[in-house]
Amino acid sequence: MTSLRSPLGWVLRALALLGFIYLLGPLLVIVAASFSDTGYLAFPPQGFSLRWYQAALADARYLNGFFVSLRLAAMVAALSLLVGTAAAVALTRFAFPGSVLLEALFLSPLVLPALVLAVALTLFFAANPIAPPGMTRLVVSHLLVGVPMVLRVMLPVLRRVDPAIEEAARNLGASPVKAFLLVTLPALRPGLVAAAALAFIFSFDEVEMALFLGSVRDAPLTVVLYGAAQMQMDPTVAAVSSLLILLALLLMVAQQVYANR
Amino acid sequence: MTSSAELVLDGLARRYGSTTAVARMDLTVAAGELVALLGPSGCGKTTTLRMVAGFIEPSAGRILLRGQDITTMPAHRRDTGMVFQSYALFPHLSVAENIAFGLKRRGVPKPDLAVRVARMVALLKLQGLEARLPRQLSGGQQQRVAVGRALVINPAVVLLDEPFSNLDALLREGTRIELRRLQTELGLTTLFVTHDQAEAMAISDRIAVMNQGRLEQLGTPREVYERPATRFVATFIGRANLFASRDGRSEDGIPLDGPDGTLVLRPERVVLDDAPAAGPNAVSGTVEVLSFLGTGTQAVLRLDGGRALLVEGPAALADHFRPGSRATARWMRADLVALPAEG
Repeated sequence: MTSLRSPLGWVLRALALLGFIYLLGPLLVIVAASFSDTGYLAFPPQGFSLRWYQAALADARYLNGFFVSLRLAAMVAALSLLVGTAAAVALTRFAFPGSVLLEALFLSPLVLPALVLAVALTLFFAANPIAPPGMTRLVVSHLLVGVPMVLRVMLPVLRRVDPAIEEAARNLGASPVKAFLLVTLPALRPGLVAAAALAFIFSFDEVEMALFLGSVRDAPLTVVLYGAAQMQMDPTVAAVSSLLILLALLLMVAQQVYANR
Repeated sequence: MTSSAELVLDGLARRYGSTTAVARMDLTVAAGELVALLGPSGCGKTTTLRMVAGFIEPSAGRILLRGQDITTMPAHRRDTGMVFQSYALFPHLSVAENIAFGLKRRGVPKPDLAVRVARMVALLKLQGLEARLPRQLSGGQQQRVAVGRALVINPAVVLLDEPFSNLDALLREGTRIELRRLQTELGLTTLFVTHDQAEAMAISDRIAVMNQGRLEQLGTPREVYERPATRFVATFIGRANLFASRDGRSEDGIPLDGPDGTLVLRPERVVLDDAPAAGPNAVSGTVEVLSFLGTGTQAVLRLDGGRALLVEGPAALADHFRPGSRATARWMRADLVALPAEG
């Protein structure tokens, strides 16, 4: 193994640092700009002010958008978890003809660009108005990505959990239902939390489908932000974006802390 | 030890479509007895154990535990304690909670529960590890927790599914002696699945040798070794030279002083010397392989007729012979054990 102190080790460190700057740089720009004391987006920021945060929190559009997004993401996370976990259990515990093909099929929406999905779904709903525009359509659409995300997390988790633990619980006197609740579910819990967090963050941050399929009145936060960025582009946009970044960060940290407990 | 029948398998069978996993198994395990189900993988031993535990439904036959028919009873109502090959410890529960799991399901009151868990922890030398999670334990410690979890509920029958196969060789021997001591002291009726004949010989009261779903022979370790009932048992338990004897000769012309039929000659019964062969039960050949094993020496003697004869002798054998030396193998009439005529 290469020691981190060798010349190559320093090169690797520098590469890692560049990687981090590349990934996190744009976020830093937005966060820095949100504190600027100017009436337009400026980087490097000039002066320091929290007034754009004040403005953002006072703006009913942003607040409304936030609660719409929250409701949407919560529903998507819950339903994805339910459907995705059930599918993962079926794919890992029972071998049936076509299960390998089915697994690949289930995961395929993850590789489609969101815009392609958004356009396809718009055409679909226009031809088959089975759900009213707005929340219902958005939930159904986000599930197309949320379910594969949960599946992606839960498949390896389920493959790692020893199926014999459920039998052991039954052998020790737990009914099948009790065995599932007392042993299998707790063993899966860290995976379930991670999967739910991923689906939640995806739905909360999603733009394309929200733009195409959402209603104007109940627009998710990302759509409100998109509109604002096109119309005025003042640091309020940066302030709201920073708050979003903070929320995602908190969720990921909480999930990690939970997983490493 | 009393000899009442604690566990009875009565014509127990399991079929999957047209394949038979277990064919009409009859077996009685007495109270306090340890019976090994021994056989190669796919012989039906694990299927039999899992039918007793209630994880697999028998296609035919009955299972009686302490006189009660439990054939159709769900697994969680059966009074069995199973040790799984993978141990199957609950990953989110501590050592103490793992051991307490079965007691809690039985509604044992708290003070009593604590006492019984503590006693099991002491018995298995797990003191100081009570609060650890399974992943923080060594393989040997995990194995002891699995054993403790199964024994603490004081089950009518203990089911062991290859409980030593995940331990390294050194630990395995110590652990199986320890488990045998515990089993004898507590008088536990035990059914023990293994593919390792040395393991089965070392700790069992009786061995049920299984092959292709059938029970080939049931007997004490000495019986199955010294008087194997079938060709399979003779070659699966220990090593064996087999002769098809007719009118004082084997199929390849070796003069034999023994009965007609299939004869078993154990390698350690064969003596090697360098005098020429004369008369029956003596045959010459060339030493092909000599393996010094510390406690003895294993040799392969390539006979002039072409057969490879297995020989086990004292360590000094390696001093007298070299690969390529000429040698004569001899044995006594009593060393030739006839298999009962096979159907």
